[in-house]
Amino acid sequence: MGKLNDLSIEFCGLTLENPVLLSSSPVSNTGEMVGRAFDAGFGGVVYKTIGKGAFEIIHPAPRMAGYDYEGKKLVGLQNVEQISDRPMEDNLKDLRYLKKNWPKKLVIASIMGFSRDEWRELAIATQDSGADMLELNFSCPHMAIEGSGMKVGQAFGLLKEYTEIVKRHATIPVMAKMTPNITDINEPAMFAKQGGADAIAAINTVSGLVGIGLDDFAPRPNVFGVGAASGYSGPAVKPIGLRCIAQMAGNPALGLPLSGIGGIETWVDVVEFLLCGASTVQITTGVIHYGYRIVEDILEGLSDYLDEKGFTSLGQIVGKALPRIVTPDRFDHARQGIASYDLDRCVGCGQCRIVCHDAGGQCLSWDKDRRRPVMDETKCLACMICSFVCPVAHPPMIAFKEVSNKPAVRPPAMG
Amino acid sequence: MEKGFTMDQAMQEAARCLLCHDAPCACGCPAGTEPDRFIRKLRLRNLKCAARVIKENNVLGGVCAVVCPTCTLCAQGCTAAGLDRPIRIGEIQRFLVEWAWQTGFSPLRALPPDGRRIAIIGAGPAGLTCAAELARAGCKAVVFERQPEPGGMLRYGIPAHRMSVEFLGRELRDVTDLGVEIRCGTPMETSADIDRLLAEEKFDALFLATGAWGSLALDVPHRDSEDVYDALSFLMLAKTAPDGFAARVKGKVVAVIGGGDSAMDAAVAARRSGALDVYLLYRRSFSEMPGDPVEKQQAIAAGIHFVILSQPTDYVIENGRLAGIKLVRTRLDAPDASGRRRPVRMAGTEHELQADLAVEALGLQPPPAADAFGLPTDAQHRIVVRDAAGNTGRSMVLAGGDAVRGSSIVARAVHDGKMAARSILEELARRTGGTAPAVIDAPADRR
Ligand SMILES: Cc1cc2nc3c(=O)[nH]c(=O)nc-3n(C[C@H](O)[C@H](O)[C@H](O)COP(=O)(O)OP(=O)(O)OC[C@H]3O[C@@H](n4cnc5c(N)ncnc54)[C@H](O)[C@@H]3O)c2cc1C
Ligand SMILES: Cc1cc2nc3c(=O)[nH]c(=O)nc-3n(C[C@H](O)[C@H](O)[C@H](O)COP(=O)(O)O)c2cc1C
Ligand code: SF4
Ligand code: SF4
Ligand code: SF4
Repeated sequence: MGKLNDLSIEFCGLTLENPVLLSSSPVSNTGEMVGRAFDAGFGGVVYKTIGKGAFEIIHPAPRMAGYDYEGKKLVGLQNVEQISDRPMEDNLKDLRYLKKNWPKKLVIASIMGFSRDEWRELAIATQDSGADMLELNFSCPHMAIEGSGMKVGQAFGLLKEYTEIVKRHATIPVMAKMTPNITDINEPAMFAKQGGADAIAAINTVSGLVGIGLDDFAPRPNVFGVGAASGYSGPAVKPIGLRCIAQMAGNPALGLPLSGIGGIETWVDVVEFLLCGASTVQITTGVIHYGYRIVEDILEGLSDYLDEKGFTSLGQIVGKALPRIVTPDRFDHARQGIASYDLDRCVGCGQCRIVCHDAGGQCLSWDKDRRRPVMDETKCLACMICSFVCPVAHPPMIAFKEVSNKPAVRPPAMG
Repeated sequence: MEKGFTMDQAMQEAARCLLCHDAPCACGCPAGTEPDRFIRKLRLRNLKCAARVIKENNVLGGVCAVVCPTCTLCAQGCTAAGLDRPIRIGEIQRFLVEWAWQTGFSPLRALPPDGRRIAIIGAGPAGLTCAAELARAGCKAVVFERQPEPGGMLRYGIPAHRMSVEFLGRELRDVTDLGVEIRCGTPMETSADIDRLLAEEKFDALFLATGAWGSLALDVPHRDSEDVYDALSFLMLAKTAPDGFAARVKGKVVAVIGGGDSAMDAAVAARRSGALDVYLLYRRSFSEMPGDPVEKQQAIAAGIHFVILSQPTDYVIENGRLAGIKLVRTRLDAPDASGRRRPVRMAGTEHELQADLAVEALGLQPPPAADAFGLPTDAQHRIVVRDAAGNTGRSMVLAGGDAVRGSSIVARAVHDGKMAARSILEELARRTGGTAPAVIDAPADRR
C-alpha cells in the first residue's frame, strides 16, 4: 500500500484508523485470523458471534452455497452457519490477544444470549476481555435454537428488553445488529434505541433460498437431503443493505451512528454506504470471495476518492446523499427526456432494438444494411432499458438527455 | 487434439456474446448453422436444445466446430469484434456437441424406414450428411466407400493433432445410429456401377460424393524418388500408420512445397513426429498464402521455417534418393488471374536446399478416373451439376462436395449433402404424389 490519506473516522466516540471492519462471521472466527486481517489493513473487527455455550453449537455440513450468474461466481452466498462453535473461553482469550497486540484496532464483540442471564453474562465477560464495543446479534435468520437470532429482531419488545439488560451492565458502547427480514427497518431500530443502543448495524443476511437441486429436490446447501430458508449475502443484497442504512439515517428520530453491511467488496461500495449515512462498514462475503487482501484496494480507493473530490476526511462524506434520497412523490414530472445515442460508437448488435421492441417504447427500427438502430424520438419513453443492454459502456454510448417541453409518452391503444 | 472448453469456459464465452438481433454470424455458415441461436440457448441454460439446434442442422456439427475456418465463415462478421474480438463460436459449438456425447443425450431421431432406398458413393462429409438427412426422413441410405474406414478427408487428410480419430469416430456414430449403412472397401468406379445400383439393386436415387483425391504434381525434370510425396499420401501415412510415419520423418530435413492448408498440415505433422527441420517453400509472399490464418500462425509456432518468395525448379536425386531441391528467388509483379501478385523468377538467384524428404502440397482435384462415371465433367475432372441441389442431368443422380467443387471445405460439403438430400426427398415425394417430410431445413444457398 502506498502512502494513504488520513482515513480515520469517529464512531460512537471512538476514533478508528479507518471505517472498514470485518463483520461477524467465519472471516472473524479466531484471533489468529483477525490478526492477519488487521495486518492487511482492516480498521477493526466485529468478532464472530459468541454464545455462552449452554447449548452446544454444531455447524451443519455443508454450511454454504454460492449463487453464480452467467459464469460469474458468488454473486450471492447462502449460509446456514450458526454462531461460534468454539468454547466461550477460547473466544475471550482471542479477544484479549487481539486487543493486546493490535491496541489501535477496534475490537467489537458480537454476542447472542439464549436467556436474559446469558445476555448479561456475555456482555460482562466480553467487556472484561477488552472489547471496545458490543454488537448484539438480533438477526441471524437460521438459528437452530428457538427464540434467538432473527426471531428476536422480529419481536421488537424482546429486542428492546435484551438491549436494556446489556446496557445495564456494559460501560462500553452497544450496537444492535438488525435483520432486514422485517417490514420497516426503522421500527426495530427505534426499539433498540429505546433499549439504550448507542449504534445500529445493518444488515444481517436476507432470508432466502439460493437454489433447489433439480435431481435431489433439495435446497442448497443440501444438508444430507434437506435445506432451509437461511441467510443470503453478498453483492446481490447490497441494494437492500444500502436502502436500510439510508432509511435509518434519514430518520431524525433515530439519530444513532450506523454501521453499514451487505455486499461490500470495493471502495465504491464503501463510499456509497458512507454517502447514505453509515460511518463504519462491515464485510463478510467479499472476504469469503477474495480474502483479506481486498482491504488494500478499498483503502487506496477511498484515499484517492478524497483527493479527487477535495475532501479532507471521510467524515465529510457521511450522509451526503441523504438530502437527495426522497420519496417518489417529490419527483419533478414536468421534466422529461429521451435516450440519446452516440451512434459513432455503436457496434451494431441490435440488442437495443430487441428490448425496446419487447419491453420499451417500440421506438427503434433497424437499419439492416448499416446494422444500426434508428430512433423515432417522439415515441421514446426514456425508460433507458436499451442503455442497460448496450455493450458499449464506459462511458455508455446511450445516455439520458433532457428534452425541454417534451410531454410524457404514452403508447397508443390498438384498434 | 487440443482440449475443448469446459462448461465454465463455454458459459463465460457465451456471456461475451451480444445475442445480436439479425445476427451476422448466422449469415456466414455454408452449412446453415445459426450460432446466435445455440449460444443464446446455452446462455439460458437450455443445453439440450442448444445441442439439438446444432445437430439437427448439421449432423457433423462436432467436426465442423473443430475444423471449420470460422474466421472466414461465422465469426467473420461477428459483432463482438467491434468491442474486442469475435466470439469463439467453434469452441462453444464443440463444447455443446461433446456435452451431448458425455451426457448421453442424442438429439437426432430417424423416422422408421419406409422402403425408399438411396445409394451414396463416398463416405466423406458430403456423402455422410446426405445419408444422415435421408435416414432421418425414413429412407434406407447405403454408403459405398472405397477406403477401409469412413470419413473421407476427415479421416485420411486432416491430421490427428487437429482432430483425433476418436473424435471423428464418435461423431460418425451419430450418423450410423440413424440407421445409415456404410459399406467400406466397396469402390464404385464407372457408369456401369451406377447403372447396376439404380437398375439391379433398385436404389431410388444416387448421390455421388467421391471428393477430390487427385494431387497436382510439380512439373520438373527429375521427380522419380520414393522420397518425394504428395501431401495427401504423406498425411494418409501419418493418419493410418503413425509409427511408420514417425520412423520415416524422424531426424530428417523435410521440405513442404505449397502455402495452403494441406501444406501447413503436412509441415506441422512432420515436425510433431520428430522431423529435424521442416521448410515450407512458397513462391509468393506470406500474405498471399491461401492457408487459414490460424493454421499459419500455428505452423509458425510449431517451428516451421517459412521460405517465401522461392520457387522450386527441380529435385536433386542421387541413386533414387532425394538430396536437395533447386530453388530460385522470386519477386512479386502485377496481379495475375487469381488477383494475387504474380511471382517472377529473379535471374542469378539459383540455389539449392538440402532435404531428405519433399512433400508437394500444390492442390487437389478429382482424379481423372472421375470422368468414368459417365457424367459431364470439366477440365479439372469436376462433375458439372445443373443446380444448387447437385442434379447432374442423369435422372436421380446427384453429386456434391469436392467432387463437384474441387478441393473445398467441410461446411460446403455438408451444405451439398443437405441440398441433395432435400432434392431427392422432394423428387421422390413428387413421384408418389406426396409431400417431402419437413425434416430438413432448407439452408439458404450460400455457395
Ligand atoms: C489435408 C487436408 C486438410 C483439410 N483441412 C480442412 C479443414 O481444416 N477444414 C475444412 O473445412 N476442410 C478441410 N479440408 C477439406 C475437406 O476435408 C474437404 O473439403 C471435405 O472433406 C470434402 O468432403 P467430400 O465429402 O466432398 O469429400 P471427401 O472428404 O474427400 O470424401 C470422399 C470420399 O469418397 C471416397 N471415394 C472416392 N472415390 C470413390 C469411389 N470411386 N468409390 C467409393 N468411394 C470413393 C473417398 O475414399 C472418401 O471417403 C482439408 C483437406 C485436406 C486434404
Ligand atoms: C457463513 C456466514 C456466517 C455468518 N455468521 C454470522 C454471525 O455469527 N453473526 C452475525 O452477526 N452475522 C453473521 N453473518 C452475517 C454477516 O456478518 C453479514 O451481516 C452478512 O453476511 C452481510 O454482509 P456481506 O454481504 O458482506 O456478507 C454470517 C454470514 C455468513 C455468510
Ligand atoms: S429509452 Fe426505452 S423507449 Fe427509448 S429507445 Fe431506449 S428502450 Fe426504447
Ligand atoms: S445496443 Fe448499443 S451497440 Fe448494440 S446496436 Fe444498440 S446502440 Fe448499437
Ligand atoms: S455475431 Fe457474434 S456476438 Fe453476435 S450473436 Fe453471433 S456470435 Fe454472438
